[in-house]
Amino acid sequence: MFLAALIACAISGILILIRIILGRTTFDRVLAVNSLGTIIVIGIALHGFYTNRPEFLDIAIVYALINFIGTVAVLKLFSTGSLGEQRK
Amino acid sequence: MISELIINAFLVTVMLAIGIALLRTRTLIFTVVLTSAYSLVAALMFITLDAVDVAFTEASVGAGISTILFLAAMAYLPKEEEENINSQILPVFTCILLGGILIWCSYDLPEIGLLSSPVHQHIVPDYILGSRDDIGIPNIVTSVLASYRGYDTFGETIVVFTAGVAVLVLLKNNTQTSKQKNKNSKRKVG
Amino acid sequence: MDLFIDVITGLCFFVGSLSIIIGACGLIKLPDVFSRIHAAGMIDTGGTAFFLLGMILQTGWSLITVKLILIGVFVFFTSPVTSHVTANLARQKNLMPVGKKIGKLL
Repeated sequence: MFLAALIACAISGILILIRIILGRTTFDRVLAVNSLGTIIVIGIALHGFYTNRPEFLDIAIVYALINFIGTVAVLKLFSTGSLGEQRK
Repeated sequence: MISELIINAFLVTVMLAIGIALLRTRTLIFTVVLTSAYSLVAALMFITLDAVDVAFTEASVGAGISTILFLAAMAYLPKEEEENINSQILPVFTCILLGGILIWCSYDLPEIGLLSSPVHQHIVPDYILGSRDDIGIPNIVTSVLASYRGYDTFGETIVVFTAGVAVLVLLKNNTQTSKQKNKNSKRKVG
Repeated sequence: MDLFIDVITGLCFFVGSLSIIIGACGLIKLPDVFSRIHAAGMIDTGGTAFFLLGMILQTGWSLITVKLILIGVFVFFTSPVTSHVTANLARQKNLMPVGKKIGKLL
């Protein structure tokens, strides 16, 4: 059961990877990388259950947060051209 | 065992695909995004190798902090990479030669986890046996890092702190000049 | 009772797998950023919710359940923010949905 779910994650991961490589604009790529991060969070949790050691869930939690921070940082740089100070 | 092999093969294939895409791109922001995705998959690789702490570090440093640091540095750079007109035969030759030597040497390495390999003979048994009585921390990795090799860790921390302070000083000096320089530059959708 | 929980978990995993595969296909097939956001939202909500529900049913009550719920909360709060920021920024950079003329929207 967990193996079948892992295989589904792998298939959708490959499909999203195709979008990352093909993507026309930066927004497509950022969106696809964010989705890949979500798939990987699910994959880490499922892999932990599949090998009977669910302590890997800590990494999944860190991942869910880091993914969000990375995406928002890329989009912020893309909109204002800098990360910290406000430019006029 | 066979499922482990399939998972590893899949992850290596994905990392290879990301690496090839990374070679072909010419936009800097896309390069940073792809590097972040590469670190994501590398952390999964460490999880299948049972290295939880390394996976934790790779997830937070590789995918999180270094992405943001690259982006902060990118604010001072032009958007597109310039076309390289120099010949690239020598670098390619050097890379292939070095990679070949490394792969050739890796056949002489002992097997992973083999008890009679030199790494596990010298002082590691003392650490493993004495860790509980000497220090009293259940995690051996923590006790080795924080107590047996405490001075090493202390030195590393000082080096990293100095590097951070130096980078901060450099960035602070550059801010004013680049602000005036970039005042009129237009940015386009990449 | 164990068999019942296993069957429910299998159903949850089936629906979750279906939604992430449909979402991934949508990311490839749909024509522009604004419609691809729907596909990404499908992965973030449908997929994550059903997978986490299945895993929660498998563990019962323990610390692991709390961690799974935490992951769910984080993903559910961060996913709409990401979608909104992406759409807003794409609109600011003068990208148009397919089929709309420039200046019609807003």
